[in-house]
Amino acid sequence: MPIQQKNISVKLDARFSVSTTVKVIDYVMERFIKIGGIGVIAAVSGIFVFIFLEILPLFQWPEVKEIGVVSMPQREYLEMGVDQWGKKPFFLDTESNFHFLTLDTGQITTIPAQLPDSVRVTAYDYSQEGGTLVCGFDDGRFCLFNVEYSERFIDGVRELEPSIKRSEIYRIGRTGHPIESITYADSGDQKIIAVVQDTGARATVSLVRLMQEQTLLGSGAVTIDEEYDLTNQFEGTPVLLLAGTQADALLIATDEGRISYFNIDDEDCELMQVFQPFADLADPAINTLDYLFGGVSIVITAATGENRVFSLFIPANGTSRLFGHTKSFPNFTEPVTNYSPSLRNKAFLLSSDRTLSLRFATNSSIRWEAQLDYNIRDTVISSKYDRLMVLSDDSNLHVYNLHDPHPTSGISAFFSRQWFEGSPFPKFEWQSTGASDDYEPKLSMIPLIIGTLKGTFYAMLFATPLALSAALYTSQFLDRRIRTIVKPTMETMASLPSVVLGFLGALWLAPLIETRLVFIFLLIVLLPVGAILTGYCWSRLPMKIQRGVPAGNEFLVMLGIFVIGFVACWYLAPTVERRFFSVVDPVNGQVVSDFREWWRLTTNTPFEQRNSLIVGFVMGFAVIPIVFSIAEESLSNVPTALSSGALALGASRWQTAVRIVIPTASAGIFSALMMGLGRAVGETMIVLMVTGNTPVLDFNMFTGMRTLSANIAVELPEAPHGGTLYRTLFLGALILFIFTFFINTLAVTLREHLRSRFKTV
Amino acid sequence: MQTVNNVAEPSMTSEGDVSNRTGQQPVISIRDFDFSYGGNQVLFNINLQVPEKEIVAFIGPSGCGKSTLLRSINRMNDLIAGISYCGDVRINDQSIFDPTLDVISLRKKVGMVFQKSNPFPKSIYENVVFGLRIAGRNKREELDAVAEESLKRAALWDEVKDRLDSSAFGLSGGQMQRLCIARAIANEPEIILMDEPCSALDPVATSKIEEMILQLKENYTIVIVTHNMQQASRISDRTAFFYLGELIEYNETHALYSRPREKRTEDYITGRIG
Repeated sequence: MPIQQKNISVKLDARFSVSTTVKVIDYVMERFIKIGGIGVIAAVSGIFVFIFLEILPLFQWPEVKEIGVVSMPQREYLEMGVDQWGKKPFFLDTESNFHFLTLDTGQITTIPAQLPDSVRVTAYDYSQEGGTLVCGFDDGRFCLFNVEYSERFIDGVRELEPSIKRSEIYRIGRTGHPIESITYADSGDQKIIAVVQDTGARATVSLVRLMQEQTLLGSGAVTIDEEYDLTNQFEGTPVLLLAGTQADALLIATDEGRISYFNIDDEDCELMQVFQPFADLADPAINTLDYLFGGVSIVITAATGENRVFSLFIPANGTSRLFGHTKSFPNFTEPVTNYSPSLRNKAFLLSSDRTLSLRFATNSSIRWEAQLDYNIRDTVISSKYDRLMVLSDDSNLHVYNLHDPHPTSGISAFFSRQWFEGSPFPKFEWQSTGASDDYEPKLSMIPLIIGTLKGTFYAMLFATPLALSAALYTSQFLDRRIRTIVKPTMETMASLPSVVLGFLGALWLAPLIETRLVFIFLLIVLLPVGAILTGYCWSRLPMKIQRGVPAGNEFLVMLGIFVIGFVACWYLAPTVERRFFSVVDPVNGQVVSDFREWWRLTTNTPFEQRNSLIVGFVMGFAVIPIVFSIAEESLSNVPTALSSGALALGASRWQTAVRIVIPTASAGIFSALMMGLGRAVGETMIVLMVTGNTPVLDFNMFTGMRTLSANIAVELPEAPHGGTLYRTLFLGALILFIFTFFINTLAVTLREHLRSRFKTV
Repeated sequence: MQTVNNVAEPSMTSEGDVSNRTGQQPVISIRDFDFSYGGNQVLFNINLQVPEKEIVAFIGPSGCGKSTLLRSINRMNDLIAGISYCGDVRINDQSIFDPTLDVISLRKKVGMVFQKSNPFPKSIYENVVFGLRIAGRNKREELDAVAEESLKRAALWDEVKDRLDSSAFGLSGGQMQRLCIARAIANEPEIILMDEPCSALDPVATSKIEEMILQLKENYTIVIVTHNMQQASRISDRTAFFYLGELIEYNETHALYSRPREKRTEDYITGRIG
């Protein structure tokens, strides 16, 4: 008996127990799904973290680290310079000897300047860019030195062999009078030298243009071509001179802090402007005056420690480039004694007795500042912008490593207006690279964000009404048999590669529409109006005629109206264009009937062939199937019980659709729009090909745009790995990511809200 | 299916009898009505008349076509693709298939309550006045009055008068069904069609609705489809028994239940077929 009972219980157990296979599969699948879900979250967060890490360096301040001190023989050094690798700085002493210091070994090589014994150097000017030192003498003559480094490789190690090339000694201005100040500039084909000479009475300013014959055998001798006496062309006592780096300008600063700007061209030397940079200060005197890299901006410091940047630009109502105050920096508490520009970007080094400050002109920021424990005599930034060298009063050379890979970036560079060189006012601008090395990268994200929004706006403007009305009509009114054709067709449309759409848009649609704009606008206005009128007339027709068209096939009537409307617009367009869009061509005085010209002349805004209208059409074409499919699906999924309920109460099909079906499907319709929006924001190929990619800052219908996504595609091939542009593109990617993240979150939240409000039992 | 005409004869006679006996003009009169979905005929030669302000119950096993017939009366079947019919349905001696007749006005005249309650995703108040709003009547006082009156007639007023603006989905199943009835009443129809209105409800809710239906009889002609034979016997004045698409027997309710003329009627009401 007990055995039997046991048997029964075992049997029961087997019957009710779950088989091992089921358990194993259940266990494995549960884990698998869990791992998959966590993996997806991890991947998305990983991408986010990666992008974030890529852009983080853009917002970091530079690191400056002292790497060594080299003691120089105690002498009075006038000037300091360094080779492009920052290995062998040289020092010019008062005896006109050049001392080259090998940093690695501390060994000093001295090369004498070999000047005649009779002369004494009274003024000098060294331009690190060209490696040229110009020295003015007490007898009113001058000469040029070229500091050259020739490189040799010994066992794979770069050895620098410095040499000094001295030119002849030239005469300038009033012979015999000592040169107090001298400046030199060389643009390659033109060289100018200007001097201030002490003549006992008012100091004189003379300018000479040097000529160097270029022959097949190389550069010939330098001869003085022309000489100007500028003494009487300005007022005041000259104290500082500055020659434009392109040898096309001369700035003369007087003791009253007035700067006279002369423009120098092949024939003439013309006074352009007199300005006083510190007119608002009690002491307007100018302490230092020098160019920033690129020769468009000057950094001027006052005796009180004020420092300002003036740039050349064409003022709003002017015709020629003049200097204007563009930037101010925080004051130095003491007078600035030294100014060194970077040869790589718009950074410069200012120093007073013990304060050393690295500043950046483009975004008016102080990159780095320190109080030193020694007195500064001279400073220099290596031409690779990776080293700072500071010579102290007691002839010690302090060498600092500078790590500042992204000086042009920063929150203000990306999101605020910046006063770029050559621009008459601060603005948002994207222009990452220019033709020359001295170009200021313009990295404002604003035009790209605006471009993204603009492209999305026009695409949605075109797509939303079409897609939603189509979805409503298809789901609620259209004959079931036709519906089974329409839906897959729309889905096929969604699968069209965007590159094909972009290609068609740019090469076929854009030129086609350009000349037929009036026709397009007529269509946009007249077709809906015609459709509504037809609907009204149709409803007035007797029931008998209405019944002639089976329900769901009313569109056949509309189709006829559309064809008629299309033809009517086509023939109407030229007349309308002649009547309303005729303008007088300002060039030849003839009347032209061209919408493009009319738009240009009446609105004063440009007309581009690849414009927002085309983007709206082509990107709308990409967005329509997505919005249509999802919206149609959700409209079709509204329970028939609800629509039957409304119909049974005597609602018309339209009333049922508008009052019951649309509100109930609103969550789905909203999702559809958000999916479309997400597609439009992230779309790349179409905007890349159709927009023209001009990073403009307007919502004009007839200009293009550059979107964040297209920007990444356009600029990535030009962005060196790890560089500022490369990281800035990642910043664009992050913004895009945040955009879509924001849109999706908003979409989900609102959808849930709508869903709970219009949930069906 | 081939025996259609033979078996239809007795039901015709019974229908004729009813009409003659009451001696009044029927509100709904169905004549020689055939109906097919696609090629599948579901109603065969139906002849039936509904007198004014009476409750007529359609009974019969599932798939016998009683709901289809009901939905034909306000042409709700038009929404289904591929239907065909012949014969005629007349309401107040006006054919509902007349090409000049607007189906919207027909449905205003013939209200309908569905098997599964289908309140709109709106407030209780907006559900009730929906019919008025779509008719373009938006005066607040009028709507308020109609809403109160309709809810009272549907015996729902006391339960919802304090939360007219809250969602209709907060109601219980029975309340929702009464709301749907109130919604139909608000439209001031002449006829109310009810398609198994209590099939998803518990006995308490069912009895409430039955009570209400009996009260509604004063003002409306009611056609109700039901699976519940007790319900039919409790509330209806006349009962029509359908079987396999045919009207087997149509008579005053007590007569049909106590003295069924047809063998199949008897089998059905005694539970032998179903």
